[in-house]
Amino acid sequence: MSTESPIVSLKEIRKTFFRGKEPITVLDGLSLEIPAGSFEALMGPSGSGKSTLLNLIAGLDRPTSGSAMVAGANIGKMSDGDLAKFRSGNIGFIFQAYNLLPVLTAQENVELPLLLHGLSSAERKKRAQTALRVVGLEDRSHHDPRQLSGGQEQRVAIARAIVNDPTIIVADEPTGDLDRKSADEILNLMDRLNKEFKKTILMVTHDPAAAERATVTRKLDKGQLR
Amino acid sequence: MMNFIRISARNLLRNKLRTTLTVLGASVAIIAFVMLRTVLSAWSTAADFAAKDRIATRHKVSFVITMPKNYVDQIRAVPGVKSATYAIWFGGKNPKKPEQFFATMAFDAPSMLEVFDELVLAPDQQQAFLADKQGAIIGDVLARQLGLKVGDRFTLQGSIYPGDWPLNITGIYTATKKSIDRSSMFFHYSYVNDSLPPDRQDQIGWIASRIDDPGRGPAISAAIDQMFDVKDIQTTTMSERAMNLSFMGMISSLLKALDVISIIILFIMMMILGNTIAMGVRERTREYGVLRAIGFPPASIAWFVVGEAAVTGIVSGIVGLALSFPIVELGLGRLLEENMGAWFPYFRIDPKTYVMGMGLALVLALAASIVPARNAFRLQVTDALRRLA
Repeated sequence: MSTESPIVSLKEIRKTFFRGKEPITVLDGLSLEIPAGSFEALMGPSGSGKSTLLNLIAGLDRPTSGSAMVAGANIGKMSDGDLAKFRSGNIGFIFQAYNLLPVLTAQENVELPLLLHGLSSAERKKRAQTALRVVGLEDRSHHDPRQLSGGQEQRVAIARAIVNDPTIIVADEPTGDLDRKSADEILNLMDRLNKEFKKTILMVTHDPAAAERATVTRKLDKGQLR
Repeated sequence: MMNFIRISARNLLRNKLRTTLTVLGASVAIIAFVMLRTVLSAWSTAADFAAKDRIATRHKVSFVITMPKNYVDQIRAVPGVKSATYAIWFGGKNPKKPEQFFATMAFDAPSMLEVFDELVLAPDQQQAFLADKQGAIIGDVLARQLGLKVGDRFTLQGSIYPGDWPLNITGIYTATKKSIDRSSMFFHYSYVNDSLPPDRQDQIGWIASRIDDPGRGPAISAAIDQMFDVKDIQTTTMSERAMNLSFMGMISSLLKALDVISIIILFIMMMILGNTIAMGVRERTREYGVLRAIGFPPASIAWFVVGEAAVTGIVSGIVGLALSFPIVELGLGRLLEENMGAWFPYFRIDPKTYVMGMGLALVLALAASIVPARNAFRLQVTDALRRLA
């Protein structure tokens, strides 16, 4: 994949929410291009629209107006069902609170996205093991999330994010709940995913140390990129 | 194999206490449902046990109004009638335990043993019964309850026929068919009749006739009733089954009430399940949000909810039915058969009730999941994920 061609192309994006009848514009005519293979950090104060922008790029939400092309798809016009398929094939998610299903083992959590791809049980297990090996938790595959540390849980979440080989990984405060050491391990892992596996990573963070790991840092304020 | 049902089953075990209480609550509802349905089916089963070649004649107005005894001779002459006997409902009680119910009837003994030939009595006991005007025979179940044996003397306290009525227990009968209640007491009609004042004598409650062809039962019944149409006292003749059902008609309101209660119980069960499922969905909103984020379509999330409800319903059904067997059949059933054999000669759970109980547990659990599943289906991913904080 060429690093020059934009994998995310947003033009004149506007996103308006309504609180009762009162409109609240969170993103106001925002345009953005993210080249494939980049590792970008998105920073900004609370309420600046970081998460909203991340949700739009990840296909979790649709813009009120403007054009949103992600991984070659015009996601602004997609139905809920098509967006779900788009996410399943193109996006890997890393959340601040890890969000592993507590009733499943580490391996079963990693297998979850593969349930949507009609793979055999053996194939799912093989791919999940590979993803867990990448994040260094192959030996914890049968552990429940509660038996893992916060850093390990986040590594399992990263394995879940990469198991279906997504085009883009979106990370919303991936180190927000971790101590410095664990946070560094996660950032090292993300760095490796970007450099070694050529994954495009878009990370929302408040942590300047985390943002330093990104190749590009963008600042968002009052719905506009500064 | 990881699938929706497996994940749903594991979700149920996350809050073991709540799941246990829900399953127990729904199981109790299933047990109550099975119990009430068994009461209803046992009641109709009692009627089904009736002999097919026996018909009963009573006063046209009501079972409780008597007819002249000489009607029996005229009925015996009707073509198709092989034999006939007559009886009165005595309504006697055990003076030591007046609250204890058992059927007491005064029959024409010789003809009764002929018409009710499924009644089993040892030949010497039969002879003793026929020879003794104060003789009485009792069912083996009642004999156990009253602690009576052959040769004992027992005094009945009359209500319809007031006074003390000393009886000699001359036999203990069993039965080859369920059409004979083994917790009844029979004694001689002549003993009662001869003790009554002349104006109350020679009156009978009903006539039971054995016919030669069950298929001609309606025609023979019509012929009997036609015969008495011109008399002051008219009759109604019906199959033994219809006669038994007419007894039930007297308590039809109670049966209807039981029917309604069994349906109400199921709704209670549905609400118990619905509440638990709705709580589970609310608690797992963020997990559903994550599943939606990684690409699960809305319908899949709804299936998670439905799967959870199905597992709860199936487990509740299995537990409820498993507990119903010892409670209803071995506990309550035996108690009712022993003590109320006239009404519940065969108190057993109908296999259809098991199927209905299991089916309803599943269907109601699924119905209870409709609203929570719809809410999960409509969940906005971003709203669900916002609950992460």
